[in-house]
Amino acid sequence: MALFRLQGSRVLAVDLTDDAVKARNGSMVAYTGKMTFKRLTGGGEGLRGLVTRRVTGESMTVMEVKGFGTCFFAESAAEINLVRLDGEKLYVEASNLLCTEATLRTGTSFTGLRGASEGHGLFTTTVEGSGQAALTSAGPAVVLRVTPQTPLSVDPGAYVAHTGNLRQHFQSGVNWRTFAGEASGEAFQIRFEGDGLVYVQPSERVTVGGQI
Amino acid sequence: MAFTQLTSKMVRADVAPGQVVFSQRGAMLAYTGQVTFTPSITGGQGGLGSMLGRRIAHEAVPLMTVEGHGAVMFGHGGHHAHVVDLSGETLYVESDRLLAFEGSLEQGTMFMGSQGGVMGVIRGQVTGQGLFTTTLTGYGSVAVLAHGGVFELPVTPQAAVHVDPQAYVAHRGDLRNRLSTAVGWREMVGRGSGESFQLELSGSGTVYVQASEEKL
Repeated sequence: MALFRLQGSRVLAVDLTDDAVKARNGSMVAYTGKMTFKRLTGGGEGLRGLVTRRVTGESMTVMEVKGFGTCFFAESAAEINLVRLDGEKLYVEASNLLCTEATLRTGTSFTGLRGASEGHGLFTTTVEGSGQAALTSAGPAVVLRVTPQTPLSVDPGAYVAHTGNLRQHFQSGVNWRTFAGEASGEAFQIRFEGDGLVYVQPSERVTVGGQI
Repeated sequence: MAFTQLTSKMVRADVAPGQVVFSQRGAMLAYTGQVTFTPSITGGQGGLGSMLGRRIAHEAVPLMTVEGHGAVMFGHGGHHAHVVDLSGETLYVESDRLLAFEGSLEQGTMFMGSQGGVMGVIRGQVTGQGLFTTTLTGYGSVAVLAHGGVFELPVTPQAAVHVDPQAYVAHRGDLRNRLSTAVGWREMVGRGSGESFQLELSGSGTVYVQASEEKL
């Protein structure tokens, strides 16, 4: 059973006892003990996964880390967030997924217009099963709860991940001001409704929507 | 000790008459008291010979001497700074990662290729660190720069530590380093895991690793 813990806020330490984790290619910074690193073709979901990833553009190069000891992962000094899943589904951008337990399945799902405004394409990565996953965020992420009474709107550039039973749709505040060059820079938002959690980072990626 | 960590990115050095602090040129952020900053032409300690040695080894970084009476704050480029207190041991660090160090420490350059022959030479090439490294020996404090903060990993004779060459910052103690390669057919066909070169440190001591694979 792989044990995930944080070494400071920017380094993920994983204790392995002859089991495996999936991590982003090249994210290992140090390890003790004996480890082997093997790149998994097509995200490690077989031929169907490979084709889907190629087609959807949600490609990530993943390696399998196996062995005994402690392995340390980090990515460009980004903050690490640990997420424990008990059978639910986590939706996350491929660029924010650092490491998952081997027991978790990853896949792709269609997000529609939201993805296009984020500059990520129309698809997002899903993580399913029971176990732990580590996400990266630019700056410490906040976890916001969404209930049926309190829907939440998020800037597409600051969205990191979400779990739970949430419906998302895309809303735009484009009006005549936008075309007159008097835009507020907040022309697009993702609106979450239902019951669940949304991870938001204190930084905005460069997005198509953010320019308008 | 003369260095105190003010924030994760700022270090304060107390300067008193008769005590010299060397720092990277331009790394001073603020100071109190009467302090003078003189560019160190020889780039640190020793005379002309040491200077030539550093020039040849490409371990010469523009340094300045800080003297006087007061306190100086150091920082550089928004990078994290980490204070290492030495009591008699040697710290091995790349010269461009040195933010400041006390004059009581003895500065030197070391040929890393001598540790492990041909592999040592390749190590320098692969890590982009060159064949030489800076050593600091004695009693005093050193401030080291790192992207994203550093964490310390203890190395014991029973447990060797492997480090990604790009994330390696510094090490101290009696350590041997060796470049271990895991180049297989996957790397040859461009399907590598991105972890084909690792720095293996064995012996007893401490290695400092940063939370990023970016160079400064």
